[in-house]
Amino acid sequence: MAVVEINNVNLTYRVLMNRRGSIRDLFKEAVAGRARIVNYVALQDVSFTVDAGEVVAILGRNGAGKSTLLKILAGVLPPTKGTAKVNGSIAPMIELGAGFHPEMTGAENVVFYSALMMRDIKKVKARVAEIGEWAGVGDHMNFPLRTFSSGMVARLAFSTATDVQPEVLLIDEVLAVGDADFKEKSGARMTQLITSGAAVVLVSHDMAAVRRLANRAIWLENGHVRMSGEANEVVDAYEAG
Amino acid sequence: MKYAQLIRLLVARDLTIRYKRSVIGIGWTLLNPMLTSIVMWFVFSFVFASRLPSGQQFAPYLMAGILLNTFFNQGLMLSAESIASNGGVLTKIYVPPQIFAISSALAGLVNFFIGMIPLAVVCFLSGQSLAWSLPLVLIVGVCLAFLVAGLGLALSIVFIRFDDTRNIVNVLLMILMYLTPIFYPISVMNPTMQHIIRLNPLTSYLEVFRWAFSNNAFPTWHNWAYMFITAACSFILGASVFKKFWPRTVAML
Repeated sequence: MAVVEINNVNLTYRVLMNRRGSIRDLFKEAVAGRARIVNYVALQDVSFTVDAGEVVAILGRNGAGKSTLLKILAGVLPPTKGTAKVNGSIAPMIELGAGFHPEMTGAENVVFYSALMMRDIKKVKARVAEIGEWAGVGDHMNFPLRTFSSGMVARLAFSTATDVQPEVLLIDEVLAVGDADFKEKSGARMTQLITSGAAVVLVSHDMAAVRRLANRAIWLENGHVRMSGEANEVVDAYEAG
Repeated sequence: MKYAQLIRLLVARDLTIRYKRSVIGIGWTLLNPMLTSIVMWFVFSFVFASRLPSGQQFAPYLMAGILLNTFFNQGLMLSAESIASNGGVLTKIYVPPQIFAISSALAGLVNFFIGMIPLAVVCFLSGQSLAWSLPLVLIVGVCLAFLVAGLGLALSIVFIRFDDTRNIVNVLLMILMYLTPIFYPISVMNPTMQHIIRLNPLTSYLEVFRWAFSNNAFPTWHNWAYMFITAACSFILGASVFKKFWPRTVAML
């Protein structure tokens, strides 16, 4: 059974005039008989499956619908049409550190972030010191996050997010973080997570990494699947234009 | 329930974060209603204290009103704001968004209970004692939390879709506050106004609360029924409005 199953997924954003309306604008437009709703199609008829142990890369230019697709997989955005099924625990590596609060300590943030990802916080609490140690911020864990440098925050977020081996891994451009030393360390951990049996969906502009890590690739163009197949072939075609 | 640990963390965060940089920390939760009550007591006790029916005391009357109103106002605004302000999380990690609104309402409930400690002190100082019906304040608190969570859920959708509704809601909350007998006895109003004030659900919550806490009011069974009905309706309607509109609203975050 496929771990990730996407069937004929469509996603249409309804854009009301500007991104955000005010009641006054809405009223004016309604009176003038032109409450304009623009439909913006972000994804059209996208289908694919990912099995356990498979790494599928999503390629495409900016605005092709890659991030929207990941959000649908993460369960954050419901598709307008079609179905998206994911069986298993998801680790969304999408802009790490969502929910970090500057006034809470490093340790408190690790626990809170883990709880958001539905991990059992009893187990997390026992691992907080180790997570901080791995991120190289072990002696800062009891200080508020606002006293951390941005690099330290990124490392702590990465260390927390990758602490547990998930069944489904969604990756949006986070293959490595931090300075040169940490990049190597985090890259290695990421590679290990990707290659140890999870179903992986990977969005990246780093074609070398895609060739190295992915089995299959899907090339998105303006919300359509332009090409889908063996990773090297799709990357070749994508790079050719 | 699998979200219990997250709700606990969210409530704890809501309660502590606001006072993180202050010296007495969560002590402000005790001090705030006391200070507000003292100010309002100076202003209004001359006008209204003598007009309460016999057996009622003005200081605990006023403070109970302030406590309940603070729970409603702050809880509602925080709850309605919570989903927009956690948009960063909600667009990246799947968490049922309702959890944020409910946690804010629960944080308001905890504050409400903490605020009863100074209220008890004021009761004793003004010669009253706590009533045997005290445990019933739990029911009032839980009902009010349901009312707040339901309204908060519905409003959170509106807040995300229309920026300027925040100001409108603030004005409405102020009107609602004056239509709640917080610092005046209902009997000072003319019959039409009394009727309007009784239509305000918060009036019922407050009457029941004052009675349950220290027998400092005389609620009827109408008040009880109105409290239960508004709490249930608010939560059910708010939750279903939220469920219906959320899929399209999340795309706007």
